[in-house]
Amino acid sequence: MVDFFLEKFSQISWLTGLPDGILFVLAVILIAIPIFLFLAVNALVVVYAERKISAFMQDRLGPMGQGAGLHAGKWGLLQTVADTVKLISKEDIIPAAVDKKLFISAPFIFFIGSFITFVALPFNQTIVAANFNIGIFYIVAVSSVGVIGIILAGYGSNNKWSLYGAMRSAAQIISYEIPVALSLLTVVMLVGSLQMQEIIKAQDGVIWGFLPHWFVFKNPFTFIAFFILFISGVAEVNRTPFDIPEAESELVAGFHTEYSGLRWAFFFLAEYANVFIVAGVASVVFLGGWQSPIPGFLEGSGWGLVWFLGKAIFLIFTMIWFRWTFPRLRTDQLMVMCWKYFIPIAFINIMGVGLWDLFVS
Amino acid sequence: MGVEHDHELGVIHAEEMVLNVGPQHPSTHGVLRLKVQTDGEIITKIDPYIGYLHRCFEKHCENVTYEQCIPYIDRCDYIASMNNDFGYAVTVEQLMGIEIPEKVEYIRVIVAELNRIASHLLAIGTIGLDVGAFTPFLYCFRDRERILDLFEMLCGARLLYNYIWVGGVSHDFPVGWVEKTYEFIDYFEPKIHEYNELLTYNKIFIERTADVGILPVDVAISYGVTGPNLRGSGLRWDLRRDDLYSIYDQFEFDIPVGTGAMGSVGDCWDRYYVRVREMEESAKIVRQALDQMPREGDVHATIPRKIRPPKGQIYKRTESPRGDLGFYIISDGSPIPFRIKLRSPAFTAVSCINEIARGWMLSDVMVILGSLDIVLGEIDR
Amino acid sequence: MRYFSNIWQAITTLLIGMRVTIVHFFKARKGIVTLQYPVERWPRPERNIGFSFDSYNVIRSRLHVDMDDCIGCLKCVRACPVDCIRIETFKVEKGVDIPEANHIGVTSQGTQKRLLVTRFDIDMTECCYCNLCTYPCPEECIYMVGGPNSSKHEIDYEFSEYDRNNIIYRFAKVPPEEVARRKAEKEMEKTAL
Repeated sequence: MVDFFLEKFSQISWLTGLPDGILFVLAVILIAIPIFLFLAVNALVVVYAERKISAFMQDRLGPMGQGAGLHAGKWGLLQTVADTVKLISKEDIIPAAVDKKLFISAPFIFFIGSFITFVALPFNQTIVAANFNIGIFYIVAVSSVGVIGIILAGYGSNNKWSLYGAMRSAAQIISYEIPVALSLLTVVMLVGSLQMQEIIKAQDGVIWGFLPHWFVFKNPFTFIAFFILFISGVAEVNRTPFDIPEAESELVAGFHTEYSGLRWAFFFLAEYANVFIVAGVASVVFLGGWQSPIPGFLEGSGWGLVWFLGKAIFLIFTMIWFRWTFPRLRTDQLMVMCWKYFIPIAFINIMGVGLWDLFVS
Repeated sequence: MGVEHDHELGVIHAEEMVLNVGPQHPSTHGVLRLKVQTDGEIITKIDPYIGYLHRCFEKHCENVTYEQCIPYIDRCDYIASMNNDFGYAVTVEQLMGIEIPEKVEYIRVIVAELNRIASHLLAIGTIGLDVGAFTPFLYCFRDRERILDLFEMLCGARLLYNYIWVGGVSHDFPVGWVEKTYEFIDYFEPKIHEYNELLTYNKIFIERTADVGILPVDVAISYGVTGPNLRGSGLRWDLRRDDLYSIYDQFEFDIPVGTGAMGSVGDCWDRYYVRVREMEESAKIVRQALDQMPREGDVHATIPRKIRPPKGQIYKRTESPRGDLGFYIISDGSPIPFRIKLRSPAFTAVSCINEIARGWMLSDVMVILGSLDIVLGEIDR
Repeated sequence: MRYFSNIWQAITTLLIGMRVTIVHFFKARKGIVTLQYPVERWPRPERNIGFSFDSYNVIRSRLHVDMDDCIGCLKCVRACPVDCIRIETFKVEKGVDIPEANHIGVTSQGTQKRLLVTRFDIDMTECCYCNLCTYPCPEECIYMVGGPNSSKHEIDYEFSEYDRNNIIYRFAKVPPEEVARRKAEKEMEKTAL
């Protein structure tokens, strides 16, 4: 996308005079702002959807706007806007005994971790912020930056409960990176390239005449790998059933107990951005990204965006469904599940994918 | 069971951390303070501190008459309020030697069993909440609302009824109440199947609760634990069978015990499952009572004009949803009781938490506390 | 082997649980139990969350006293377990007319009133809504409004106040000068004895 913008700049006469560095920075800012806006809108929409979906699952109504006065729009659509305004206008409380540098920088580091993962997701045949040729590798590597933010938040808060939450979370995220990486490796083996657009392009066509040639259907081992990727992704994002770090009924709110107002809003924003990223990566790698499910029809550039967002939304709905159905696992059971169940199965998957591809197809 | 704590681990001097699971709990059991000493995540000692909800109920009862005591007794175990009144009324009636008509007996049993279902629904919902499953909590409360609507139709109040009086009950059934109760029981019995699918047999829930917080039978008896907690450890002891107090011998119902189906006998899952099965059995009792109840009769026939028991003392126990609720009443012949003491089953349950939670992790403490199903109003009175 | 049975059990039970919630999600329209207060007030007979309230036998709502019927027998004061009712009465002579207090005539049930009730305070901050005061009243003048009593007073369950002094319900209708005059008379009688 940077090349796209630089080309456009070279066609505007009064910009060509500026030095190259400044043009580059301008292009980067022009890309970063829509991404930030997309993240903000994503947080608004997904939070509203979560509250409404959880309400319908629990036989209640969720946010509604009724009655006189300043109300939250019909069907409560303005509820998250109202929440955002409230969070921005809150008093910025920094407890006296915290470690100021760590406390203040933690939400930003956590947010940056999810922001920079975002740049490698392809939305469309042409819209991708940075089309790295090491796309998948970059995503796996960079998504660990968020752990630093969590540890700083928990340690810097000078609170026993936050420390508990942060330590549990760090262990959890680092452990679950391994099944994620191993599952992505199965797809990389089949495609032969780490570049995201190549992976999507390798998923066009049909299997057995009617099923789209997505990797989830291609191979029984990649089918299992999809589920391992998805569930490990849910664990990476700290959502139920793996939300021990923010376990509301035990440790009051885990590592972000002491945060309020806009700082907490950053944690919140970054968490829902992570949710989108997990859904996005799983849909790109296994469900065909912007490929249409009916091969041959509806394959234009605009439709690609629709398909990508649709698949991501379906996976987000499944994550919300998980959250409101299952209880949460204890920390040691979480670790057992990762190291004793997911990792052996992921290794067997890699072997199986290779053997299946060699002998069967 | 637990970890043998040893400070001399080579040269590393590890200290224990003292945590306050403070009076304000995220898990709703009331105001209870637990001082927890942990070594990393493993618990070494728990001290419960109670008394935050003490309202001097027993002292109040020494200054008001027997009829006026009943609102106070309602407020002790506020979740199973009918069972409290039932125990008190049965005790005073035995002291005074009153025989009550059959219709009143049936009404009392129906109402007490409905309240048992409501109390167990709350217990099951809050165990789900402690473990992290939010949805079963709301389903349980939706069904509990229907029971509370039935009670509201009966006596006007939802939670603290003042309905069972010494010598009878305060009102007869309104028109249409029996049909509504039949409707409720028909609606409710399939719901237990839904709770089982959603929570009881869920693998994650089983992982969290099976083999956790095992209460052996001899420990339970030595602490005086009764009710579903004791039945979860394998002993089939139920006061409705073993120490008969009303017309419970006319109904057919099972007494579920914990069998270690998912882990060991006496773990949290067993106590939880005993409560789920008890709800089914209570629904059966209500249905049988509605079928057998005489529709005509005066509920006010044997309410004495003035309650003035003869001099003496009595201790009688009944089965409340939490266990063995005992009333010890000393009367000196006047309309005002000399002393009323309430023996609270949840008090014994909270006192054995140190035994059963040692050696488990911090997350397990909430699950164990939830499976013991305590109500602070009863513990502190 | 337990390894594989664990995996199998996990997958099946989790899927069964997910089926329960998704069924609720799609049946949302019929199953919702929320009452959107204050736009929808209870009771609302058309939505099946409870029952129709015209078959109430008893109700617990706001306490009300029909002062015209009160004969000052003090039975409700004795019945209250928390002592939240305070009543002061004065004996009246036959035939004296006090307009503000129903002319000291007869109650609606036909009893002759012999006492003038000058103070009838119910402290609602202490009241525990046990309904014990309504049973002994011989004239049925103290009751909880609505339900079976809706012919006398319609239902009212939203009676929170903004000022703490309004929480004490003062039902007596005798003007203060009258009360002061009678108190002064009583004092004079005592000192005269």
